[in-house]
Amino acid sequence: MKRNAIFAVAIGFALLLTLASSAIAGEDNETVNKYSLWIGGHYTDFSDYTKKVGEYDLGNSEGLPEFAGKLFSRSSNSIFKLYGHYYDDQNIYGVANATVSDKFKAAFMYRSLVHRSGQDMLANLNAREFYPNAPPPGLGGKTLTHEILDPGADYDVHRQEILSKMEVLLSERNNVRMMAAHRSILKDGTTQKMSNDHCYGCHTTSRTGKVETRQHQLETGIDADVKDFNVGYRFGYRHFQSNGPDAYGYWSEAKHPGSNDPKWAPEFGSRVLFDDTTLAFGVLPETEKMSHKVRLKGDVGKGNLAGSFVYSRAENKSTTLTTDAYAGAARYAVPLSPKMRLLAKMSMRRVTADDPFIDLPTFRAGAADGNEKDFDYIRYSTLDRSEFKASAELITRVNPRWTLALLGGYEMTNRDDYVAYDDGTKTKKMIGQAKLRFRKGLRYSSYLKYRFESISDPFVSARGLFESSGYGVLVPAVSGSSWIFYWQREALRYQDITSMPTQVHNFEWRSTWQPSKTYSLNLGVKGKLDKNGDLDSLDVEHTSLVPHAYLNLMPNMKWTVTTGYTYNYDKSRIPIAIALFDG
Amino acid sequence: MHHRDKNGPRSMALIVILGLVAAFMAAAPTLQAEVANEVCAGCHDEVSEMFMNTSHGIYFSDNAALADASCEKCHGSGVEHANEGDPALVINPSNSDQFGAAEMCLTCHDDHKFDDWQMSSHKGADITCADCHKVHVDASKSSMKSSPQMCYTCHTDVRAAAYMPSHHPIAEGKMKCEDCHNVHGGSTAMTLDDSGRELCLSCHGEKEGPFVYEHAPVSEECLVCHTPHGSVANSMLKQSEPTLCLSCHPMHFHSISYAVDGPFTIRDRSGVSTLDGFKVGMNTKCTQCHSEIHGSDSPSQTMSTGGNTLTR
Repeated sequence: MKRNAIFAVAIGFALLLTLASSAIAGEDNETVNKYSLWIGGHYTDFSDYTKKVGEYDLGNSEGLPEFAGKLFSRSSNSIFKLYGHYYDDQNIYGVANATVSDKFKAAFMYRSLVHRSGQDMLANLNAREFYPNAPPPGLGGKTLTHEILDPGADYDVHRQEILSKMEVLLSERNNVRMMAAHRSILKDGTTQKMSNDHCYGCHTTSRTGKVETRQHQLETGIDADVKDFNVGYRFGYRHFQSNGPDAYGYWSEAKHPGSNDPKWAPEFGSRVLFDDTTLAFGVLPETEKMSHKVRLKGDVGKGNLAGSFVYSRAENKSTTLTTDAYAGAARYAVPLSPKMRLLAKMSMRRVTADDPFIDLPTFRAGAADGNEKDFDYIRYSTLDRSEFKASAELITRVNPRWTLALLGGYEMTNRDDYVAYDDGTKTKKMIGQAKLRFRKGLRYSSYLKYRFESISDPFVSARGLFESSGYGVLVPAVSGSSWIFYWQREALRYQDITSMPTQVHNFEWRSTWQPSKTYSLNLGVKGKLDKNGDLDSLDVEHTSLVPHAYLNLMPNMKWTVTTGYTYNYDKSRIPIAIALFDG
Repeated sequence: MHHRDKNGPRSMALIVILGLVAAFMAAAPTLQAEVANEVCAGCHDEVSEMFMNTSHGIYFSDNAALADASCEKCHGSGVEHANEGDPALVINPSNSDQFGAAEMCLTCHDDHKFDDWQMSSHKGADITCADCHKVHVDASKSSMKSSPQMCYTCHTDVRAAAYMPSHHPIAEGKMKCEDCHNVHGGSTAMTLDDSGRELCLSCHGEKEGPFVYEHAPVSEECLVCHTPHGSVANSMLKQSEPTLCLSCHPMHFHSISYAVDGPFTIRDRSGVSTLDGFKVGMNTKCTQCHSEIHGSDSPSQTMSTGGNTLTR
């Protein structure tokens, strides 16, 4: 085994014993029971891995037995299925389904996994800040230091998911059905928690944080046929809570980062919201979300109409902040002729969120030279927005072999409080798409697609780039001072920056050739080019190209062997902002 | 709201099949076979034997009105095909397009989880039921062709992404494509709509908020920063840090000074930004300090940003 190299491979996955017993109970012609049991094992060695080998495959250096079982049972009007797989204590999968005629359906699922993020948040922590011209050994300064409070710790989270759902036919007369579903996502384990002290010193600390989060979801509703429509109502509820203990960090006393001169302590203390204190950080709030949804489906004219309306409210229980969302959607599909159909979609959404008042201490309060400043502000939410989407697609079968589909669409996002380009708030998108399909029986088929999107005013970091010369812009910056203060620098930035495109070209070609029943060949390529040339700085450009070739062998009804190769090429060119100002 | 079983292909297929059963019971038309099943079995003996143990077969056998019409129920009249022997003279759902097979299946499978099928991308791409479902399969086995491999045959770019260093655990068999995608169109189970943010939050509820201190792209869409099928960068980010962050934010204004050379040995400190400093700064990840990047209720330390730097 080569030292310091990835060595994470299952060197033993031997089948110890396979019991595949299939018994068909012949009590009568209407009852069938089948079951199978598989017993195996695995051995994994991770004794010498130093690099990321996978976030979910990581395990202990050990061998364990492994089990899987399957049960199928049916009578004349009921079916019951059960499947389970035990890999180890933290990797288990089980699913059960039961059906009695069409009157009752139930399903249950459990699955678990272990997730390691596979990254050390302290890796490559090299950045430093300006150190003034003070003689050594003045090591405080603004050199970024770090501290590992629990060296050698491993972090992983055991995720368990439990899902159960059922549906009952209440009345055959109007096809009245009631449903209920529940899902829980439980996470337990440890994670790397980072805190950052950033005034006199710039100091990052890493410690183990305990993870114990609980997310529960409930959904219940009823559906019924009402005249020509099937209508339904759903109530949804989601609750998230973290039961793990809070992590605490220490923020040091505010001082001048270079000189440590006590005369500047009030000045620098005024620049921070807290110092010389221990506080909780990385706290996950308790949140709750409730929703009401009504849906409708039915035939209107020659076409089929489906629509829905949703109202939801999310609440941060820790702060009482809320978000309200209203969303409506309608889809109409209509055959214009036996060989042509039209699809029309439309949806709207309105989101409003609370805008809390942020009450901050007064800057330079009581300073001898005055220049007090109040930084209190209202944090307007970036969630506030209205969205509208519409599209229409015409699909026609030109002849038995050729199908052509043409789509046009429009999307708009209007943000209440967040600007896009040029201080606007609207992002608008025009969409055009063409798809062409060719089929020659089962022997040959080919598919060609091109999609174009033109986007005006995409999401940006508004005035996130570049800074004007402060002395020129802000004079007089602060009365009696020639300094440029930190808070003033926000006002010096003047250019928007984004990596979001204004033009997107998407294409796809795929062909399948099946010369015989025993093999087929699939060739294709997907590509994407998006770019943004509207920035005053460098252009944005993303290129993606994914060709593939698959060969499928089907020697008989029971065997299929697929072999293939996919190549993925991605290239991005984006402007990044390099600050030239320093200290 | 649409329902879709999240339990994997077996259970999903079962639900689909049971939906068929339910639909048949609701419709239960009386059919008169033009060609008896026994005639079909004369040539298609392997399929015929298997069929009685399929979910369709089980239901048909329990329903007298359908018992004699099972083959033609899906394949249409078999008279010409039986006389001529030409496969083209009978309906083959595997060899159809969006104007054919799916419509036939939906005459029975009218469960509302197919509300959006007419509008779905799959139907628009001429994907039909038989492309994903195995009809002539024993009811004790899955009637779904295996996911995600089946999906990968068309979505090859997703397959490539799913094997990149950071990915959702699809390759490990811990997730299925159906966990996020409703292959029949529309939203997935337990989600309100098919917007990307809502879909992500259905599992990652800790990022729902609303938070006192927000990060605008989190409100916008998760896909501004993440690529969910997999990426080379950690945490399924589109690019590695700090490049991704710097595409919207200026670099930390001190971070490109001269680097520390060795343990706390300070080199020339002219205060001039340098290439050395730039290289060092580009190795640092922004979330090492701005750890609460998805939002926080706790103010950060600095006054100048109003406490909104998401470091706490």
